[in-house]
Amino acid sequence: MELEEAPRQHYTENEKQLIFNNEFMPHIHSMYNFGYRLTLDRDDAKDLVQDTYLKAYRFIESFQKGTNAKAWLFRILKNSFINDYRKKSKEPNKVDYQEVEAYYNSEEVDRLITPDLRVESLKDMMGDEISNALNSLDVDFRTVIILCDLEDFKYEEMAKILDIPIGTVRSRLHRARNLLKEKLKSYAKTMGYNNNA
Amino acid sequence: MAPSSNPFIQPDGKKPTCMEMLQLIIDNQVTEEQRLYFSQHMGHCLPCYKKYNVDMAIKELLQSKCCGGNCPDDIVAEIKLKINSMTA
Ligand SMILES: [Zn+2]
Repeated sequence: MELEEAPRQHYTENEKQLIFNNEFMPHIHSMYNFGYRLTLDRDDAKDLVQDTYLKAYRFIESFQKGTNAKAWLFRILKNSFINDYRKKSKEPNKVDYQEVEAYYNSEEVDRLITPDLRVESLKDMMGDEISNALNSLDVDFRTVIILCDLEDFKYEEMAKILDIPIGTVRSRLHRARNLLKEKLKSYAKTMGYNNNA
Repeated sequence: MAPSSNPFIQPDGKKPTCMEMLQLIIDNQVTEEQRLYFSQHMGHCLPCYKKYNVDMAIKELLQSKCCGGNCPDDIVAEIKLKINSMTA
């Protein structure tokens, strides 16, 4: 399995149990949420989490004790999602990232970053608006928001989890935030806010 | 403020734009020094101040609404059971 390039470790059964319980299990709630946000289905999330933990145990000797277990587990889950789950689902074709890069570098960005969504309208979004907005994003955009805002990963960690360059992490995050904002703006409009003030 | 005191300046001397600084702040990829510098910067840069407040409000909303609760107990139990059968 294409996980960390760490040299193969040798652990006793007891050590394996300790690593599994003390370093892997504490992340199970984050992992479940990640699985859920990727699949948008509680049962699929459950399968993904279980699958990830079993793989993690099976390949525990490619994990170096005391290193970044959370990023390592997230990477396994993300790979399982792409290889096992996504293949089965009929997810429409992916975004053209060349276009995204071009977009990010263009002058047009400045026009779009005008803060025309108001904090007051966000304060009233106490229901499912934000969750629906997040779920409506393409899975690749959703993923970077989850990793950054919900899990507080660093660019370098996200790059490793997603197997993409740091520059792509940044541009994808930037684009994801703009898309999320557009979504929230349309919700705010239906809630009766005038965002042009 | 003297440009040399800007902790966002890259080793190659490139001065970051407001947007670049803001993204690092919102993405939480900054040092304490950079955070401090940016909060002073916002004091005299209205576009940054406005965008920061909107972006942070969204981020806080995400954190309070999208963390999805806990993993059901039965998954934890099932995983432990399967692991034990693997080691047996
Ligand atoms: Zn500024």
